[in-house]
Amino acid sequence: MSTKLTAASTKLTAASTKLTALSAMLRAESLHHHVATGEGPLTLLNNISLQLARGESLAITGASGSGKSTLLGLLAGLDRPSEGRIWLAGEEITAMDEEQRAALRSRCVGFVFQTFQLLPGLTARENVMLPSELRGERSAAKRAGEFLARVGLEHRLHHYPRQLSGGEQQRVAIARAFASFSGDDGILFADEPTGSLDAGNGEKVIELLFKLNAESNTTLVLVTHEQRLAERCGAHLRMAAGEIKAGEADSGSLSEVSI
Amino acid sequence: MPALKHSLLALRLLARDWRGGELALIATALVLAVSCVTAIAHFTDRLTRAMHIQSQTFLAAERLVNSSQPVDSAWLNKAREFGLQQAETVQFASMLAAGDEFQFAAVKAVSDGYPLVGHLEMRALEGDPSRVVQGGPPPGEVWLEPRLLPLLKLEIGDSLQLGDTQLTVSGLLDHEPDRSDNLFSMGARLLMNLDDLPAADILQSGSRARYRYLFAGDDQALEQYFTWLEPLLTEHQRVIDLREGQPRVASALDRAERFLYLAGSLAVLLASVAVGLAARRYSLRHTAYVAVMKSLGAGRGKVLGIYVGQLAALALIATLLGLLIGSLVQSQAVSLMADFFPAEPPPSHWSPLIVGLATGFACALGFALPPLFRLARTDPMQTLRRDWSNPDRREWLGLILGPTSMLLLIWWLSGSLAITAALFAGMALLVGGSALANQLLIRGRLATLGGSWRIALGSLQRRAAFNTLLIAAFGTGLLAMLALVFARTALIDEWRMQLPEKAPNHFLINIAPTEVDGLQAMLADNQVTSTEFYPMVRGRLTAINGEPTKDRREQDNALRRELNLSWTDTLAPDNRILEGEWWDESDEGVSQEESEQGVSVEVELAARLGLALGDRLRFSIGGLEIEAPVASFRSLDWNSMRPNFYMLFAPGALEDFPATYITSFYLPPEQKLLVNDLVRNFPSVSVIELDKIIQRIRDTIDQVSLAIESVMVLMLVAGVLVLVAGVRASIAERLQEAAIIRTLGGRRRLLLHSLMLEFGLLGVAAGLLAAAGTEATLAVLSQRVFDLPFVAHPMLWLLGPLVGALLVGTAGTLACRSSVSEPPLKVLRELA
Repeated sequence: MSTKLTAASTKLTAASTKLTALSAMLRAESLHHHVATGEGPLTLLNNISLQLARGESLAITGASGSGKSTLLGLLAGLDRPSEGRIWLAGEEITAMDEEQRAALRSRCVGFVFQTFQLLPGLTARENVMLPSELRGERSAAKRAGEFLARVGLEHRLHHYPRQLSGGEQQRVAIARAFASFSGDDGILFADEPTGSLDAGNGEKVIELLFKLNAESNTTLVLVTHEQRLAERCGAHLRMAAGEIKAGEADSGSLSEVSI
Repeated sequence: MPALKHSLLALRLLARDWRGGELALIATALVLAVSCVTAIAHFTDRLTRAMHIQSQTFLAAERLVNSSQPVDSAWLNKAREFGLQQAETVQFASMLAAGDEFQFAAVKAVSDGYPLVGHLEMRALEGDPSRVVQGGPPPGEVWLEPRLLPLLKLEIGDSLQLGDTQLTVSGLLDHEPDRSDNLFSMGARLLMNLDDLPAADILQSGSRARYRYLFAGDDQALEQYFTWLEPLLTEHQRVIDLREGQPRVASALDRAERFLYLAGSLAVLLASVAVGLAARRYSLRHTAYVAVMKSLGAGRGKVLGIYVGQLAALALIATLLGLLIGSLVQSQAVSLMADFFPAEPPPSHWSPLIVGLATGFACALGFALPPLFRLARTDPMQTLRRDWSNPDRREWLGLILGPTSMLLLIWWLSGSLAITAALFAGMALLVGGSALANQLLIRGRLATLGGSWRIALGSLQRRAAFNTLLIAAFGTGLLAMLALVFARTALIDEWRMQLPEKAPNHFLINIAPTEVDGLQAMLADNQVTSTEFYPMVRGRLTAINGEPTKDRREQDNALRRELNLSWTDTLAPDNRILEGEWWDESDEGVSQEESEQGVSVEVELAARLGLALGDRLRFSIGGLEIEAPVASFRSLDWNSMRPNFYMLFAPGALEDFPATYITSFYLPPEQKLLVNDLVRNFPSVSVIELDKIIQRIRDTIDQVSLAIESVMVLMLVAGVLVLVAGVRASIAERLQEAAIIRTLGGRRRLLLHSLMLEFGLLGVAAGLLAAAGTEATLAVLSQRVFDLPFVAHPMLWLLGPLVGALLVGTAGTLACRSSVSEPPLKVLRELA
């Protein structure tokens, strides 16, 4: 009888975990990440767990080398952690192979990079069309035009990245990131989005990013050095040496951050 | 459906990439590769076919049957059944009479259709220019070699008597394609119609005449016919093709053909390297592209699908363009060089297009695909790390696929395992050497010097892996160029050596001993230098070590006929004793017993007869017998145009036998009429005129040499283009570094020197390895492909590094000059 009860309880816990993961947009559980070096294994992340609901925003800050970009990459499914599990839009990406993770990214993950990462041979519109084209959508050009209009670049459709200023290039990158979502379940990862911009342009880009985020009800995870930018996010995670600094997880509107 | 979507996306991206200039690199390399190989394959194909047509004119047929008797008419009917063209010639020596004048002439009666290949040239009037005609004289008429007119005191339109018939001289014969078919046909030529031969009633059973049955037609039909015919041939009949009819021309053409195949193979090698370099650069530049695509949700399969689709489309477009350019280039080259072709250039064939097509796809598959596989493995995390290196890991595919496809292509193209092996040997040495250079760069303490040396050596060391690749690429370009230049030099030198400018072009035979002094005086009076006058006694080899040879006649032609035996105490310059002893002057004997000094035997005949030193040979000379031991084996050059003999005795050994003398000399064209004086003053002496045939052989070889040189120039251009491609593949990083050094206050001169040093050193390393690779390649080529003796090439070791330093250094410095001449900020901005 007692065994049965224990089993039922275990099942219930598992179901509850699954339910929580499903209801969350992003959930990470006990993440560890190591890489091999000539001098033995190097720990990049140590026991990170977090959970983020739909529409929420999270800032990850920390010194250079603290592991924030590595964490961002793992959460976005660009790589697999050495240990631990991650759920993205209700699906466990740590159980997927590279192709499955890529397919998931093409549906609901958008990226904004510090150095924009626009493809130099493509025009602004073609850069924004790329995610839709990779999904095989027919209306890629129309959709790209709409997103570029939303970031105020409708007059720059046919310009190449080299013909755009840094601020404009980052706005194209933001348009591309939002064009990456095929449905309502979008999560945008931004890696120091203002890192290559001057203060004025940086401000404009941030305004745009938050405005679009609110309009589209997307979830936002961003890595930044800027305290001011971090403070605009619902939750703030400070990292040091691959770990979340104890006592420095600012819950705010963050559903759950477990250390 | 997803495949279709991928293909469409690949095509859209291809168009965008093209517009952005990214694909131009790889496309240019592919177009260059395909056009070079197509042009060379076309050129080689047309030249080879022209050479074959030309070579067949030496026989006036594609193949012929030589017989001392008329052949069974059933044989000719059978040839008709096979759909072969045929013609017939009968040659014999006969006396011509015109009024009171008599002259011995070499008569040739020809049937309709003669010559099947080539043409005759004649004049209807003495003062007219020669014109090309397709057939011989009609019945009742003859054409004479111009020299016969004054000898017979005839004019065109007069009649002459040949046997029982009167024939009208209707023209002068200036050229017959197969004049060389009977080098020892005596006297000047008379060409007549075969239909007049019965009326002349000159040939009886047993007459010395040569019947030739000429055939031409479809290769397969010829092959089938001769397969049927050969078992029926008797010992008096022989099939003659170019190899037997004109071994010198056949060997020159064979070697030229192999050289052209070698050039084609080297073009493939260069093309592969160019495509490989371009693909690597493309793949490096696309690392960021792919990392972004992957972060946007493109999986490895999708990325690979897109790039392979792009490559396939690109390979197709570039290959078609290359085929077009290659065909246009060769057609221009051929029309420019038409005069130098040995025969009317035959039309283009489709097979070079297949070669070009195969090259395009083999290069794309073998050299462009592996970097794309690596590209598809790009880690999307690189977008976050902002690290665009594309580490050269898991290179096995590239290492195996590239060289394998290249070697297979070369093998298929050249049809020669030896050429493939030679290039493999050269390349293996080059790659091994590059790996060694890599270790030296990585482990060596190069950067301890100062100034521009420190910058140059530091730069070489930092990019050790890529520099190793560059050394191999530059080395391949240099190897191709050096191998071709040295192979060409060896071939052409060999040909020139075989037919020196003033090689003897006339032979005098049947010289009575009493005429020797008079002839020598006459030649000396006319400033003509002859070779030695050799006595000649005709004798048959009847027994070897007492065993009669009559049962072994089938074994060698030399046992079936009388041999020309001679004696001398002085070895001719082209003769060399390989084994045994040569008699010196003190041994000079005076009696027949001196035959015991022995006989010197030509080494190849000795080998065919299985002779050993000391074997006793018995000869039958005019019914008398003489026996002599084999004293030595001797090599000689049958092509030297000097009298040469299978059997040479010591002076005195054959003195009691009636001998005639033979000599040869060079007569320049302006002294040609001396032949008439010789014939008039020494009527019993026969003059064999080889000047025309030697001139034709020389012309053919000159044309072939020219063709070889033009192909070599094409290849040199392609080689330089590969070097430039290599330099271009490596400049971006160097430009950036140079701009940064200038920003930090580095002076232009310092930078310029360091760039020159860096590329110069790369060139020297590549040149040294290329010299080693070329030496290995030439070693295999000379022995296995060109049948030439191997000689070391010390110049190669000097030229290789020198040319390497000069070409790579100049190309590199020129390509990077913007880093020195432009403001550094502008360079950095452009690179960004």
